[in-house]
Amino acid sequence: MTISYQVGDTLPPLKHTATPFQLFRYSAVTWNPHRIHIDESHARQEGHPGLALHSHLRAALALRSVTEGLGRNWRVTNVAYRLRKPVYAPAELAYSARVTAVDGDHMTLELIEQHPGGEVGFEGTVCVTRTPAATS
Amino acid sequence: MSYQLEPGTPLAEYYAQTTPRVGTVLSRRNLGTLDAATIGRYAMTIGATDPTHYDDAAARAAGYPDVVAPPNLLAAIVEWGVGTPEAELGPDGTPPDGDMPLGDHDLGLRVMGAGEEMELIDAATAGTDLILEVRLEALAPKHTRSGPCVFVTTSNTFMTGEGKALNRNRRTVVLRNPLPEAR
Repeated sequence: MTISYQVGDTLPPLKHTATPFQLFRYSAVTWNPHRIHIDESHARQEGHPGLALHSHLRAALALRSVTEGLGRNWRVTNVAYRLRKPVYAPAELAYSARVTAVDGDHMTLELIEQHPGGEVGFEGTVCVTRTPAATS
Repeated sequence: MSYQLEPGTPLAEYYAQTTPRVGTVLSRRNLGTLDAATIGRYAMTIGATDPTHYDDAAARAAGYPDVVAPPNLLAAIVEWGVGTPEAELGPDGTPPDGDMPLGDHDLGLRVMGAGEEMELIDAATAGTDLILEVRLEALAPKHTRSGPCVFVTTSNTFMTGEGKALNRNRRTVVLRNPLPEAR
């Protein structure tokens, strides 16, 4: 069944707890040796209150809210995001995606990362296109 | 008029050293072959459960030649291949000559991601030979709430071994002076 989306539709939010353990595994799998993500004493020396989440991990979580919310009938074609503030583990995060434009087989969604206090830590846009299998 | 960095500071030194490289290709190199284990581990770490990341039969059923990477995997990997020996990493752990020009380690600059634009042209699947070209696009000195900084933007193009573009990214990081007690 093909689902139609309209401007203003919101995908189910992705709620996620980012832990120091996840940061370690993310550093390992991306072979990222930057110590602000894995060495808390070093992170504090640089002025951070704790281990900083990787920007790409935050983007990956935001994109999950889109790919899992829309399913395989849609493919991500463009993403743009800007980090408004850092996030430190452990962190309770919620990612949401809201449809802002629909043009045939293409849609644009607004991405937001929200913190428990209501602050927005990350904002962006993502463009998706319906996959050929879904349009045939 | 753009913000003027304070002369004699590590940021000013970085800006002077790096400005001549703006607009140039910093590197173009073969990254090797994207493998299924890397794709599966990345998907596992970010919590993505779609079988197309783990199961080649599921990926083929979905129209891919092999397991497919989550959208930002290529952009997220910092070092390809074996990486940099520990003794050659900077005090903050960053490699000396990575894809993002972060300046000499002696400058002690602090770095964090600031944002990115990605154009995902085609799926990255296991078994693909990858080439990465990195161009330094811009350096922008600014004064923010946390003090002076330089925004560094690179454009990164990931291609197959045949030169077909898979993924084009414009990535921006922010560099700040070391904290006074760290110098």
